[in-house]
Amino acid sequence: MKKRLICLLMCLVIISTLLTGCSGVNGKSGSSDGDYHIAIVTPTLSASEDEFRAGEAMAKEYPNVVTHLTLPENFEDEIETCISTIVSAADDPKMKAVIVASGQSGLIPAFQQIKEKNPEIITITAPIFDEPEMMSKYIDINLDTNWIKRGETIPTKAKQMGAKTFIHYSFPTHLSKPLISARKDMMKKTSEALGMEWVEVVTPDPQTGDSVEAMQQFLREDIPRQIAKYGKDTNIFGSNCPMYDVILDEAMKEGFIVAEQCCPTPTQAYPTVLGLEIAEEDGTNFDKINEMISQKVADKGMTGRLSGWPIPVTIYMPEFAVYLAMEMIDNPDFDAKDPAVLNQLTKDKFGIEVEYEKLNSNGKTYDNYFVMIMDSIFY
Amino acid sequence: MSEQRLRGLPQIVIGSFLMLLFIIAAALNYNMAELISGSLIKFAMNGIFVLALIPMINAGVGLNFGSSVGITAGLMGMCMAIQFRLTGITGFLAAVIISIPIAIVFGFFYGRILNRVKGKEDIAAIFIGFAFIPLMNFFWTVAPFSNREMLYPIGGSGLRPKISLANYFTKVLDQLFVVKIGTIEVPWGLLFFYAVIALIIVAFFKTKKGKALIAIGSYENFCKLSGLGINSNRILGVILSTVLAGIGICVYAQSYGFVELYGGPGAFAFPAISAILVGGCTGKRATVCQAMLGTYLYQTIFLLSAPIANTLLVPQMAEIVRMIITNGIILYAFLNQRKAGVHDEK
Repeated sequence: MKKRLICLLMCLVIISTLLTGCSGVNGKSGSSDGDYHIAIVTPTLSASEDEFRAGEAMAKEYPNVVTHLTLPENFEDEIETCISTIVSAADDPKMKAVIVASGQSGLIPAFQQIKEKNPEIITITAPIFDEPEMMSKYIDINLDTNWIKRGETIPTKAKQMGAKTFIHYSFPTHLSKPLISARKDMMKKTSEALGMEWVEVVTPDPQTGDSVEAMQQFLREDIPRQIAKYGKDTNIFGSNCPMYDVILDEAMKEGFIVAEQCCPTPTQAYPTVLGLEIAEEDGTNFDKINEMISQKVADKGMTGRLSGWPIPVTIYMPEFAVYLAMEMIDNPDFDAKDPAVLNQLTKDKFGIEVEYEKLNSNGKTYDNYFVMIMDSIFY
Repeated sequence: MSEQRLRGLPQIVIGSFLMLLFIIAAALNYNMAELISGSLIKFAMNGIFVLALIPMINAGVGLNFGSSVGITAGLMGMCMAIQFRLTGITGFLAAVIISIPIAIVFGFFYGRILNRVKGKEDIAAIFIGFAFIPLMNFFWTVAPFSNREMLYPIGGSGLRPKISLANYFTKVLDQLFVVKIGTIEVPWGLLFFYAVIALIIVAFFKTKKGKALIAIGSYENFCKLSGLGINSNRILGVILSTVLAGIGICVYAQSYGFVELYGGPGAFAFPAISAILVGGCTGKRATVCQAMLGTYLYQTIFLLSAPIANTLLVPQMAEIVRMIITNGIILYAFLNQRKAGVHDEK
């Protein structure tokens, strides 16, 4: 009896898998009135909220055009599943563009397979991290933040905000990444050129050691010590996002400067630290959120000590990639290889100023790899 | 005899290492008073996790590698307190009180699973701990909480990975009855709360029920023949550990300032176990004294090692020491347990 039940259950599972699989494909072509489709691939909600919400918002705004696909929960480990998810987008004959925004490496084969299936599909990354050489070769347009240049812009901004010391918190696994260590070297160079004292502190490693808590607890203990030593006119920068809950919380108490977060966004750490109550309909209303932050920051007498970017780059970039893809499909005259055009498109769609430039790495300039810096907002 | 002497070895090594760190810190002109106050807070904020291991160890259920089960109950208690916007000491106590029944239910089922895997409890507990986290991740994203301070900022539904306690009960215990002795600030409120929990545990093991638990942990077969309910007593031990872990996270969170959901609960099992082992427990029998000594040694080493290593420009060293102690001591204890086990059979 039991065996039969199990058999029956298995059959049901198989049938339901097949059915849902089919309905997915049907659903896609059935709901289309537009003449093309765009797929945007992001991590799941619990893995990375911003990209997921950006994908969701785009699919809501253009329900007949944009399809939102999600990667498996632990996408960093399941590269194979990620690749098949991405490639599956190319099965749709009306698919004109595939956008991937998962910030991981190892996905180049997916783009190669898409091109094999249908060479007309435009591929955009917003961003993923692989060798620029390979990305430039196999992917049509690559978008990313200008990490290295931020090594220059952040200390410069900190100096403008009155910093005399620049503290850089990081840990071994991060410092072994070329981008992060290159940015750090740039920050050091800029800080010293501007006459700020450069302090480098290594925290417990959350990726090999006792998890994130040990790192955050260390910051809790170390920041007041550093501020006692260097004074309030100190800028603190941490290379890892979870650091900012503690850094900003301590900033509210100790009054030091945070010129920019590692991933500058109003939605990270600020809502937690300031206990913001954001109404459901204001979720993507960044003007409102920024206003709320400014208000709370002013209440604590911290006006002018904190700064960041007005909208999260992790939401901006996937959404921008969708607009860019549409523009490229709809408008044959659109020159996607011109940074000035990208800046203008951002201004039209988001009302903010950004500065794109072509990536220059190891003395080589890549024609389809664009990196950007966004204009700051001061709270 | 030589084995006996060997057993104290880690405490001596770690104790001397700690002394060395204090000497270096003094030589480097660190503010010693501040470091000592820091070490007291760190001791009490992590201490209850370590105390929470005792009932399970004594009942013979092994080291509680699955403390995330109890911690989750504590997190739920705190989420409820935040949901109802309870602040100050009321909020903290409400969180503790709400967490207790949840922990009892969790502990009951956790204990029943552990009863079915006798002899392999440690491994099973590790996996239960791991498996419980994704399950709860699902719960956190769909739980119908409505205080907007705890919800995802953008989507507006699902709990945030970190909820700030600043408007609720941050540091209510840390700042309760702080008395300055010389230049050292002693957080009496926090230490008092810790002491109450420790005394409850001591008192419990003085009762008939507590003694039965110890007896079962030491001589299970003998107790079975004497007609003691083995499984129900083991479940009692697990429930106690789970409840204490729940209280532990409330104390930790009020000191730390944030409630950490999702992956958060997974981070506490190993450090707590290392701490009690550093204190001299071999995983068969544990006392409150071992837990206290172990917590102080273990936590203070980390308080001191990272800043000192940074000043001495060997920052990676702190990390290596941390890894060696956390994982090495667990391995050491298993080796010792093995030896002790063989000895018993003889």
